[in-house]
Amino acid sequence: MDNINAELWLMVVTLFASVFTNNILLTTFLGMCSFVSVSREVKTAAGLGAAVVFVMTLTTVLNWLAYYYILVPLHLEFFRFILFIIIIAAFVQFVEMVIDRYSPKLYMALGIFLPLITVNCAILGAALFMVIRQYSFIVTIGYGFGAGLGWMMAILAMAGIRQRLTEARVPRGLRGPGITLIIAGMMALAFVGFTGVLK
Amino acid sequence: MKESPEEKRLEETLRSSQMVAGGFMGTDPRRPLEVIEDDEDLLDKLKLSIHTLGRRMHELTDLAIPQMGNWIDDPRQSRLRVKADDYNGSLVCPWPHPGSYQKRITTVKDKNTGRIVSWTDLNIHMIEAHGFFEGKGAFFRIEPAQIAAILFPDLT
Amino acid sequence: MMELLVPVLIMGGIGAVLASVLVVAEKVIANYGICKLTINDKKELHVQGGKPLLTVLREQKIFIPSACGGRGTCGICKLKVLEGAGAILPTETPFMDQRELAENVRLSCQVKIRNDLRIVIPEELFSIQEFQTVCTRITDLTYDMKLFRFELRDPPEIDFTAGQFVQLLCPRYKGSPEEVYRAYSVASDPQQKNAIELIIRRVPHGICTTWCFDFLKQGDPVSLNGPYGQFCLGDTNAPAVFVAGGSGMAPFVCLLHHMRNKGIKRKAEYFFGGNTVKDQCLQAEMSRFEQQLEGFKFIPVVARPEPDSGWQGETGLVTDAVRRHYTDLAGHEGYLCGSPGMIDASIKVLVELGMKKTSIFYDKFS
Repeated sequence: MDNINAELWLMVVTLFASVFTNNILLTTFLGMCSFVSVSREVKTAAGLGAAVVFVMTLTTVLNWLAYYYILVPLHLEFFRFILFIIIIAAFVQFVEMVIDRYSPKLYMALGIFLPLITVNCAILGAALFMVIRQYSFIVTIGYGFGAGLGWMMAILAMAGIRQRLTEARVPRGLRGPGITLIIAGMMALAFVGFTGVLK
Repeated sequence: MKESPEEKRLEETLRSSQMVAGGFMGTDPRRPLEVIEDDEDLLDKLKLSIHTLGRRMHELTDLAIPQMGNWIDDPRQSRLRVKADDYNGSLVCPWPHPGSYQKRITTVKDKNTGRIVSWTDLNIHMIEAHGFFEGKGAFFRIEPAQIAAILFPDLT
Repeated sequence: MMELLVPVLIMGGIGAVLASVLVVAEKVIANYGICKLTINDKKELHVQGGKPLLTVLREQKIFIPSACGGRGTCGICKLKVLEGAGAILPTETPFMDQRELAENVRLSCQVKIRNDLRIVIPEELFSIQEFQTVCTRITDLTYDMKLFRFELRDPPEIDFTAGQFVQLLCPRYKGSPEEVYRAYSVASDPQQKNAIELIIRRVPHGICTTWCFDFLKQGDPVSLNGPYGQFCLGDTNAPAVFVAGGSGMAPFVCLLHHMRNKGIKRKAEYFFGGNTVKDQCLQAEMSRFEQQLEGFKFIPVVARPEPDSGWQGETGLVTDAVRRHYTDLAGHEGYLCGSPGMIDASIKVLVELGMKKTSIFYDKFS
């Protein structure tokens, strides 16, 4: 019983850590491509963020199962890159099909972002971190969800800032991706402030 | 770089030749948002806003409409002559909102230099509402520098 | 050797399993089966689901007007979907007002057929047929207008009322990789059912007019559908004023044929405006109508006659000519076809001269 409680506590800590101190976007700079290009508007960013949370949570869990129940027993750990990628791709495809079939409204809000996510490096990154850091199954759930949430929070903040920036006089050469990367850097600096709050 | 789904859909619509011959992008390899940003820069350099430009275009088109395709001198800038030709049909804005514009081509001629610029009603709307001058190589691409040279020669 | 082969086989196997899961899902989940479309509670169609409603209806030869090719940007393909379409999508709401939202109006290009649907299609769209024709004659009318004659092959006859228009299918050609439909007024005798004639004015860089002017040859097959439109001659005996410009000529030719066929003797004066003498056309046909129709008079108006043209007729804007011609238009009917600018200006003049707004009928180019 104590064991389970400890696990759950660890899960919560990992969840918060991956949102704040170890934000996958702002500390490891993963998933930058969609972060820079789809952060013009808060509405779109929220859709993509929600899709990332959903996919990241479920694929890290699926990948944990695949890793510990298929690769480890077969001593094929070195194949994890390939396995994770194909599992993510197949899962996203599958989910897109299901949403399109059963909820047109959800498809419009979330489904249209799924093809963008298939090749999002943050998703693969989360799966690999989960292996490197040797998370247990329960902690992995918290980690996947937290990493997704952290990514969503970062893109929402960025979209909010960029929306306010539309009227600003940004130097010509820095418009678009340039200023976005600078802002991302400053946000990352701000997040350094969380270091040490959680282990 | 990746595109958001809306951008992707917009680009497909703009590149399609279903709405206007050759599409709105012409042969321009840039993405629509890049075209818009680059033209915005050009206008900024001229210290001209899309609102001022759009208002002036409206004014000239409205002046020419009652003449039904005949030239009329602009009372504000006497070196300009303008006419508006109407054609059968209307064009819809490629952005996802309601908006249908008469196929009308306004032609403005600078009597001093002989330079000519022309636009459709849809051009005015796309410039005012979306900052879009169309891609290079599109039939109705408006070069910001050229139109400014004719309508606002003091700025160039 | 085995050390190399086994892992590869295992990974290949996992990949194959995932792929087959997707293939099965595609067959099971993405297969929408046969769906039933109930149209106006009368007609039932059984169609393969999974495609947009607009596309499916077009395949069933029900032509819902659309201008953007199903991309959800023109908002023209509206239909009432009473049941089965689910909640309205964010891509549709910008095009709807409160009343339309309440009445379940949808954009048929955005509604994917997922299950049985109950829809309402305006009755007049059912009388629209698709005609396979052959272009048998192309005549120059002016420097930028041509008359095209299309002989009907399948079905061999068309019924239309004078003043209606048809849509022409412009096929793919160099520089225009997509098919489009464009509307043109019919300019031929409604009694002649095996052929129709269209008057088309070249639109600079227009998709369809460029094809008609530069690519279409005599003997080429052309697909048309129609007839559409409500512009027609009223039943009264009031003296009529016709005003047209450019390719607005077409419906009046058709109306004049109709008047001759029916022996309508009402007084009618037709003002046709052009910018130069070169813009005038069909003068011989018009004088023939003047002989055949007792009360008919054709008055061509030229805004700026070329100095060497020796133009004897009316000059100035077509509205100026109308104003000079009449002092009181009470009890007259006005029929207008042309650009919105011309129509607005004409309405103003006609009303000033005493014509009732309800007696003015027009077909704006749109």
